Amino acid sequence: MALSTHTTSTGWDSVLKACNKVNEHILGFLLPSIHSAPPFFTQQPNPATEAIVIEQWTKLILSYARHRNLFYLRVEDAETGGDWDEVLRNDRINRRLPPAHLSSILAGMVAKNVASYEPAKQTRSVLLYWRLPEEWAEVLHQWASTTGQMNTIMTFYEITDPPVNSPLTNIPLPLLRKAITILAKSNRAQIIAIADGEGVRFFTPAK
Amino acid sequence: MHRRGVGLAAFDRKQTTKRFEELSNSISQSQVTHLNNQLTQFRTALTHFASTHRDKIKSDPSFRHAFQQMCTSIGVDPLAGPRKGGWWAELLGLGDWQYELGVQIVDVCVSTRERNGGLIEMAELIRMVSKLRGVSGGSITEDDIVQSIKTLEPLGAGYQVVDISGRKMVRSVVKELDDDQTTILGLAQEHGGRVVEDMLIQRRQWSRERARTALENMLLRDGLCWLDDQDEEYGRAYWVTSAMKWEA
Repeated sequence: MALSTHTTSTGWDSVLKACNKVNEHILGFLLPSIHSAPPFFTQQPNPATEAIVIEQWTKLILSYARHRNLFYLRVEDAETGGDWDEVLRNDRINRRLPPAHLSSILAGMVAKNVASYEPAKQTRSVLLYWRLPEEWAEVLHQWASTTGQMNTIMTFYEITDPPVNSPLTNIPLPLLRKAITILAKSNRAQIIAIADGEGVRFFTPAK
Repeated sequence: MHRRGVGLAAFDRKQTTKRFEELSNSISQSQVTHLNNQLTQFRTALTHFASTHRDKIKSDPSFRHAFQQMCTSIGVDPLAGPRKGGWWAELLGLGDWQYELGVQIVDVCVSTRERNGGLIEMAELIRMVSKLRGVSGGSITEDDIVQSIKTLEPLGAGYQVVDISGRKMVRSVVKELDDDQTTILGLAQEHGGRVVEDMLIQRRQWSRERARTALENMLLRDGLCWLDDQDEEYGRAYWVTSAMKWEA
């Protein structure tokens, strides 16, 4: 996973996103060759081998989620089909990732802090961190600053559904809240109760 | 009775022996000097050769091979480290070159060990080492790999070149492959990595018990293969990772 958020400006991000969109239409997502290996879909009885399998799946899931701007992965996705079909199954070799295997991969990802169970207290759905909450915090602050939103009160809705698409469009609320909490720790944001729910005010850090 | 050895004649004989000794001393002395001269010449010639061809030895695989063969035929080990006849290796810088290649081999073997269980095909190893060295490193051959693996021997890491049904593979785990495993690896090579019990029963006339034990050992104990429990034909297939073709 490329962690480039500290240097990524909003402009560059949207260029990247546009490129990805174009790529997706022209080339689609480029699956790694291990995805064509039949045993990749089986939960390995040898723990050392299974660790490698989980590591490879983690990489694949995060890069695909980043590519398609997906935030959630659920055990059901291996059962019913949907956004994740391209990754969770390979029709060419007639293999699919069984839900039980996906469930243990998700547990592995949560253990490595590249995902968290969302909502909490269940293990069938995770929020994916193809950007860590710390990185989202930077993206958020950068976006607020470059779009001139400093010191004004914004609703969460204005962030997740802005008139002009941003890297934060459709960001799930739990993730947004985590990012704001991180900014609040360094006095760069403050959560504010407003009439119809919650809002946030961003500050320029004191130099 | 006449006692022999008394008188002038006997004295002469003693003198003669002494002279001969002196003569022999001086001859061997001159021989040693001569030999020294020759060695010096040889060394000079070698220094010259080394300085002229060092780069070529390092960059040209066929030249390197010819050079190594020459060394073997005159009984000199070009890899002898600084402690035994080190000037040779130092002169050529070939020791360093070989050690460096050795380190790269270890690098590739260790970093791929997880997915191939410590068994890598020679061609794959060469490909990955070449990638590591970049374009400027010059091309390397199977011969170079074999030589470098020899230099790794004193480390006792157990690197070995093994022959599995006509294919050379490099093994980086200290584990003896038994005959059954060798058979399975050979079969896997022919089938893109996939092996099932019935293949061993039908083609190698193994009992089911023997086939299962050998495969399960490779799967669970050695990590040399991965399980596929969605196999269309048999439901349970074993994939020998070193015989599979995929990038990490």
